[in-house]
Amino acid sequence: MTDTATLKRTREGTAASLELTHALTQTLYREARLLDTENYADWAEMLAEDLHYHMPGIETRYRRDKTEQVTDLTRMAYYNDSKPEILKRLSRLETGTAWSEDPATRYTHIITNVEVELTEKADEFRVYSNFYAYRNRNERDEDSLVGNRIDIWRQVGHAFQLVKRRAILKHNVMLSKNLNIYI
Amino acid sequence: MRIERIGREPDYSRYMDLKEGWLDRRIFSDADIYEEELYRIFARSWLFVAHESQIPSSGDFLTTHMGEDAVIVARQPDGSIRVMLNSCPHRGNKVCFADAGNTRRFVCNYHGWAFDTAGDLKGMHEEYCYDAGDIDFKNHGLKNVAKVGNYKGLVFATFNSDAPSLEAWLGDFRWYLDMILDNEEGGTEFIGGCIKSVISANWKFGVENFIGDAYHAGWTHDSGARSMNNGQPFPPIDMQNSYHASMNGHGWEFGTEGVGDLVLLGRPKVMDYYNKIRPKMAERLGEMRSKIFGSVASASIFPNVSFLPGISTFRQWQPKGPMQFELKTWVIVNKAMPDDIKEEVTKGVMQTFGPGGTFEMDDGENWENCTTVNRGVVTRHERLHYRCGIGREIEHDTLPGIVYRGQYNDANQRGFYQRWLDMMTHDEFGKMPARPEPRLGNVAETRDLPGLFAL
Ligand code: FES
Ligand SMILES: [Fe+2]
Repeated sequence: MTDTATLKRTREGTAASLELTHALTQTLYREARLLDTENYADWAEMLAEDLHYHMPGIETRYRRDKTEQVTDLTRMAYYNDSKPEILKRLSRLETGTAWSEDPATRYTHIITNVEVELTEKADEFRVYSNFYAYRNRNERDEDSLVGNRIDIWRQVGHAFQLVKRRAILKHNVMLSKNLNIYI
Repeated sequence: MRIERIGREPDYSRYMDLKEGWLDRRIFSDADIYEEELYRIFARSWLFVAHESQIPSSGDFLTTHMGEDAVIVARQPDGSIRVMLNSCPHRGNKVCFADAGNTRRFVCNYHGWAFDTAGDLKGMHEEYCYDAGDIDFKNHGLKNVAKVGNYKGLVFATFNSDAPSLEAWLGDFRWYLDMILDNEEGGTEFIGGCIKSVISANWKFGVENFIGDAYHAGWTHDSGARSMNNGQPFPPIDMQNSYHASMNGHGWEFGTEGVGDLVLLGRPKVMDYYNKIRPKMAERLGEMRSKIFGSVASASIFPNVSFLPGISTFRQWQPKGPMQFELKTWVIVNKAMPDDIKEEVTKGVMQTFGPGGTFEMDDGENWENCTTVNRGVVTRHERLHYRCGIGREIEHDTLPGIVYRGQYNDANQRGFYQRWLDMMTHDEFGKMPARPEPRLGNVAETRDLPGLFAL
């Protein structure tokens, strides 16, 4: 066995140090704060150029049914985006004519259950987390989106950039009229 | 099967005057009117239930609703498709809880009654508890609908044994439908999966928006159009060369510039693909239809299916009470497309008309507020304005249907509500007026039509 293979085997899936775990947890919190305050310009700075942002649609199927719903990228997905595609969606808000965003939606992202693991790449980390994203609009329009995320974050200098995100929303019928939110 | 409801016979014609161009707001929230819609419209119409590509193999099934009635759509060993109530004849429990899958049997969770994919009762838990004569197996299967039909891949079903054939129901609208279902050899398929969302609005707002409301697009979707098309506003509308066409409540509004909706999809490769096949499309469907396809356009099939030809979102507005519907969205693509083009279309649809799409986000908000505000006890008695373009009806040599000039128009919406009124007021299908008299008659195939329609 070569040294690299041994290295891969020992790094992959290993829990990260307390320090790294803290740094990445803080990164997730910062990201949540930027999304809560609609600071999308700074959020976009946290996204790697080779980002893949994926939120699959989840059908209800029997346990014996082995249809791959989560990782099959040819299936319907709320998001299956590259960074330029996310920026395209975001550019809608900059037009000043996104009528349904004015008055603004009020957001809170609660991020919990953070676990950080090393990967085979020295500068990339796998980060598990849970999200509770709450939205409230106008008088009493509200909804709650809950689920899990698996991310890959890459260290760039002293900061981290999001390279991959898979967010699994627990809804089958999404109990909301739209998804004017990033998770 | 005959679905009857006794008792309430209000005069629905007082809820609208389509010659004058107004509607009464109560049809968007009144609970009694909604119940009546379930009987008179949903239980009597042909309803879309599946695309055949969703259930290609024997034993494949999916579950959906016809109106508010839960149904199973299942492929049979002989290749045919059956549609049956998703409700056990013993105590009524739901027998299938999955959105889709493959099975030999549907077995009820309550007492274990087991049905094959045709709905026939095959056995049950502790069968000895029934004495001879207690159960007639033949008559205690899952109730099948009255008729199932397939138009170029779209599977429809109806509870109404008096319904005309599916071809007659779609009528001249088939001439238009073929622009999405048959613009290339091989037909169409749905991309895997279905995205469902809930909108607290009356189902008719979704249908009428897609059937004719080009007018909202340039305003509501200014931000969406600019985000998908490099900051450019909505493509300009040519009022001389764009139309509304309405046939028995089905409707298609469209330009003839050939590119508007493709631009809004924001995927240059998809544009290139269609431009490449367009000469063939012209041979296949005629010059006129090859120019309509890809233009700014939208369409609805009565009563509750809509789509955007060119953008390729295909959707159904499932009623869930007078003030809520469930929106089911799919992506429809040509089977002959290479995989990378299918992927481009899918991404484009989800970025424009998925729940997080740059267009979709602005629609639901409008329909919800139309619904809730219209309900006010004083507000509901105020009429709504549906007169746009009321004087612009034309005769057109090529275009079937009741045709109006100018895509900014309420004509198709008036046509939809006229059919709604016809169905709400006529007990017998055969007595309902044809609007208009069909031109295509019984022709089975619009592709090879000579002369008039092939232009
Ligand atoms: S309700 Fe289905 S077996 Fe009893
Ligand atoms: Fe719209």
